Amino acid sequence: MTAGRPPPSITVRALASVGETILEVRDLNKSFYGVAANDRVNFDLRAGEVHGLLGENGAGKSTLCSVLAGLYRPDSGEVRLDGQQVGLRSPHDAAEHGIGMVYQHFRLVPSLTVAENLVLGLKDQGVRLTLRAVETRVSQIAEEYGLSVHPSAYVWQLSVGEQQRVEILKQLYRGARILILDEPTAVLAPQECDKLFEVVRHMADQDHSVVLVSHKMEEILGHTDRVTVLRGGRNAGTVDTADTTASQLATMMIGAEHMPEAGRHTPRRFDDAEAVLTVSDLKVTGDRGTPAVNGASLEVRRGQIVGIAGVAGNGQREFQEAIAGLRTVTGGSVRLLDRDITAARPRRRSQAGLAYVPEDRLGTGLASGLTIEENLVLKSYRERPHSRLGVLSSSAIAATARELVEDFDVRGARRGMAVSLMSGGNLQRAILARELTRPHDVLLAASPTRGLDVAATAAVRGHIRAESEAGRGVLLFSEDLAEITELSDSILVMARGRIVGSYTPDTLDIEELGLLMTGARDHADSSGVAAGG
Amino acid sequence: MSVRISVEPRARPAVALRLGVPVASLLAAAAVGGVVILISGNSAIEAYRTILDSSINGVRPITRTLVLATPLILTGLAAAVAFRMKVWNIGAEGQLYMGAIVASGLALWLPAGLPKVLMLAAMVVGGAVMGALWAGVAAVPKAYFNTNEVITTLMLNFVALYFMNYLIFGTVSFWRDPGRNYPQGKLIPDAAELPVISHRLHYGLVIALAAALVLWWSLRGTTWGFELRTIGDSPSASRYAGMSVSGKIVSVLALSGALAGMAGAIEVSGVLKTLDPRALATEMGFTGIVVAAVARLNALGVVPVAVLLGAVAASGAKLQTIGLDAEIVFLLQGLIFLFVASGEFFLSNRLVLSSRSAPEPQLAATEASHE
Repeated sequence: MTAGRPPPSITVRALASVGETILEVRDLNKSFYGVAANDRVNFDLRAGEVHGLLGENGAGKSTLCSVLAGLYRPDSGEVRLDGQQVGLRSPHDAAEHGIGMVYQHFRLVPSLTVAENLVLGLKDQGVRLTLRAVETRVSQIAEEYGLSVHPSAYVWQLSVGEQQRVEILKQLYRGARILILDEPTAVLAPQECDKLFEVVRHMADQDHSVVLVSHKMEEILGHTDRVTVLRGGRNAGTVDTADTTASQLATMMIGAEHMPEAGRHTPRRFDDAEAVLTVSDLKVTGDRGTPAVNGASLEVRRGQIVGIAGVAGNGQREFQEAIAGLRTVTGGSVRLLDRDITAARPRRRSQAGLAYVPEDRLGTGLASGLTIEENLVLKSYRERPHSRLGVLSSSAIAATARELVEDFDVRGARRGMAVSLMSGGNLQRAILARELTRPHDVLLAASPTRGLDVAATAAVRGHIRAESEAGRGVLLFSEDLAEITELSDSILVMARGRIVGSYTPDTLDIEELGLLMTGARDHADSSGVAAGG
Repeated sequence: MSVRISVEPRARPAVALRLGVPVASLLAAAAVGGVVILISGNSAIEAYRTILDSSINGVRPITRTLVLATPLILTGLAAAVAFRMKVWNIGAEGQLYMGAIVASGLALWLPAGLPKVLMLAAMVVGGAVMGALWAGVAAVPKAYFNTNEVITTLMLNFVALYFMNYLIFGTVSFWRDPGRNYPQGKLIPDAAELPVISHRLHYGLVIALAAALVLWWSLRGTTWGFELRTIGDSPSASRYAGMSVSGKIVSVLALSGALAGMAGAIEVSGVLKTLDPRALATEMGFTGIVVAAVARLNALGVVPVAVLLGAVAASGAKLQTIGLDAEIVFLLQGLIFLFVASGEFFLSNRLVLSSRSAPEPQLAATEASHE
């Protein structure tokens, strides 16, 4: 790549013809703190193709893309461009090699114009900016790819979809012939998505290669030429989109072949058990003001473990927070036993018998700068003996802490030490110790074993089973399908803010569940209301 | 091979370190200040001797230092309590003025024959309530509409300042002495004057020390303080635990304002004996922020820091007699703040020197071997 930039389309045609492999990744390994995010990953990209990269959260898509974008250095393995091995040492380096990435969170300066954003950080601009020339070039490129953006518009004036086009334009302007789009539709409205895919197709027609990162099945099926599926940091396969089906992809993505046989534990009946948690037609608004939960209903009975499976970002977080009282409900109701807690404050819910193990351990479940003792009484500090008339009893708090630390085997906690210095497994033990020792009828647990080691995972699952045996209801959210199927008496599938499927261990159909999860099929023959029994 | 310097957080600094770093920071500030004094053509040793002489050498200098430290203790506490919850009350200055206005107003309006205890209680409580209300003007929008309290509290300072100036300089108000040509406030009655401990040192110091003690204990030993610390540490965890964050914002800002308002009342009652805008507008509120920051938001730590800054301030007039600008005092205060704040960084972090081979290990290596 030379410093001078001829118009990108000419560059590309000179370098590659359709179908030729331009990028190869061989046996890429990348670990973070000993956990392999990419484990011998292989990937190849042809000129002029749209290549889908499919996988659940944590499957290793982002790591692979970050290596290609020059953000991470691989631990081992090689990246070849046009058959030449390259070391991508920085994003700038990747750009020099014609690789550009468009992130979910845009990297634009709102107070600058489109053209100014495009030249921002380019080194060979000279002292004086010749913005007019830039604008002319931008208009040319924009027209060529159908990216309608006005080069002299300020970025803050643009819609999200337009800003994304600016990001794409920026990469094209810098001569990218390989574009990596990281979940590009996550931030877009439906009509903007259509427009985006038009642009993507247009780029491919011009011999650019596009890597489309997604966990949405319909996008992959509708807009790619080939698909590479990653699972747990490894290749699960690469197929031609035309030759595959949603169910095949779903199976690869969730690894159905590794799932425990359906009905591994005999289904238990809960017909006669009392309902401890009843959620009816719940509607919740997400952070961006759009509906996140669109009328979800469920019921948890005494002794029952209800698992909610789903790909992250389908309303699970908002659903949990609404049940816990951390997010305002816009419709529907939540009942705990016979009490309506739809509008109750979090403390009331806790007192009414709701234990909550949130996904975010350090920051929500625990206050990171407080000590282990303080965190263990985070919900009972107002109660006797921990305080009396607003005065804390440090001896009573210390006694409670000692007891909980011992009973729940919380290790690495020293008196007066901030919890932020403890390991993930011990943080989770501390949260469980606090939540499970308070009187409760329902345990709401979100991704309770994520990131934990084997011993801690086993301990957490043991506690969840014990809850069920003690006659409490458990509502378990997890992206780990194996965990859901192993523990749950009733398995619900959540997609696009709705409960779209319901199974018991004996009716479980992993393939169908995968389709529902990834939105490849809209509704199973189940009704919205799913309950054990 | 290259040497890399990286910063690592320290788990729990040792006691020696926690005491030693601030002392070292102070000495460093004094050293740099000394250089500046030398550059200005004066003797640093003489300057520091003057500072010591006029601040701690003898009963009279000590009382002067403590008189100056008293309002700084209260404004320091005002900043500390709010900052502890990460609510940035920059408005202690204005809250102090408003407290002074109400306290002097009460002193002039209440019957002069009232028992001293009642009169003083009315002034201190009145000043505190007014300070709380003035902070509340910023607190309520912050709590319920998430406005930026830095801007609102800062701007309210100017409103309070100009209102106070207007009462004395702009009009013949209830506060102004009509019998004088030069605009000046009426003197408060004897019953409204804080009793004296020694020389000019008044019992306001005792009130300030008691406030520090009570606040220190409340932060550690009450559910109120527990909530405040939890919210300051992690808003998300505190909501999860069922705490009311918006209610707490109002109560903490109100308390912060009350402490500053109390400082204003005590200045009027113990030092000025009148509503004197010029003497009040000496940045006691802003200096409180410095005090709190240097004291690392510890309520008890505020006391020695306020005394230290008071000692530096006490020597201002004396420094002029040896040919130094009074501004040198602000310079020294600024240096102290700068060095203690930087010392804080080294207290909670440590530098790790590591030598390691130049980056880009694998790829570069494999590339080379292929060629």
